[in-house]
Amino acid sequence: MIKKFIHQFASPKTFLLQVDKFYGLIFFTSLCIYIFSIIWGLLFTPEDFVQGNSFRIMYLHVPASFLSQSLYIAMAVSSATYLIWRVKLAAYFVIAIAPIGAMTTFIALVSGSIWGIPTWGTWWQWDARITSTLILFIMYLGLISLHNSFSNYEKADKLLSWLVIVGAVNIPIIKKSVDWWTTLHQSASITLTNKPSIDPVMLYPLIGTIIGFFGLIICLILISSKNQIFIREKNKSWVKDYV
Amino acid sequence: MFNFAFNSFYEAIYMNGHGIYVWSVLIIVLFSLLVFFTVYQYKIKKIKEKLDEFN
Repeated sequence: MIKKFIHQFASPKTFLLQVDKFYGLIFFTSLCIYIFSIIWGLLFTPEDFVQGNSFRIMYLHVPASFLSQSLYIAMAVSSATYLIWRVKLAAYFVIAIAPIGAMTTFIALVSGSIWGIPTWGTWWQWDARITSTLILFIMYLGLISLHNSFSNYEKADKLLSWLVIVGAVNIPIIKKSVDWWTTLHQSASITLTNKPSIDPVMLYPLIGTIIGFFGLIICLILISSKNQIFIREKNKSWVKDYV
Repeated sequence: MFNFAFNSFYEAIYMNGHGIYVWSVLIIVLFSLLVFFTVYQYKIKKIKEKLDEFN
């Protein structure tokens, strides 16, 4: 039943038609939410008592960090879907997400480093959270390079999917690094189980930036996947008709 | 909740010396997003043109 459901909704043609239908709506809604929340966070929230105005980097750093890990999980789920049910679209997603994951991880690392200068007095520290995030960034780059080095797409997809699943072990390490080891990086202010330790005045714009950034990244994944479909299925008659 | 946190436009830019960090991160984030959206739209446009030629 699951197999039937996946195959019904995961045909590249159906996907492209759905993307065309919803892309504009998702893009403009996310852009409005993101711009509104960024202005709210950067200019209309009070200064932090301890960190001063540098805490405002949070509105740019946290969404990128959150997405850098979430995108890897999405890649791992897509990889498993491809390996178990042989869904082509899932394999396209894996390689479509990888550069975007690298970009969000890069933003998380750079924004964290810049935030570290006024807050910690250093832009880099080999602590568990920062090092494991750097490893995630290197993994993204490695996976992209590996996929590009193959001329046979099917072999590349299989190998990439296995490597993504194996590499997923890094995600709980990143997440738990601040609890397992003594790190310069603070522990999570927002968790699913506890009440947020951040004031609502600062929290609401943060939630807005996370939602807005998430929506924009979804849009990037949609157009990146569309690009992958065109590359892989260019010889199919439906693609010629679609174009 | 929506009170402007600064006394002037200059203060908002300067942010007591932290403006350089905050605004540079904002520029990096917006630039990265802009580059990725532009590159993917360009790639799709190019591949569509190629497919059109074959048609």
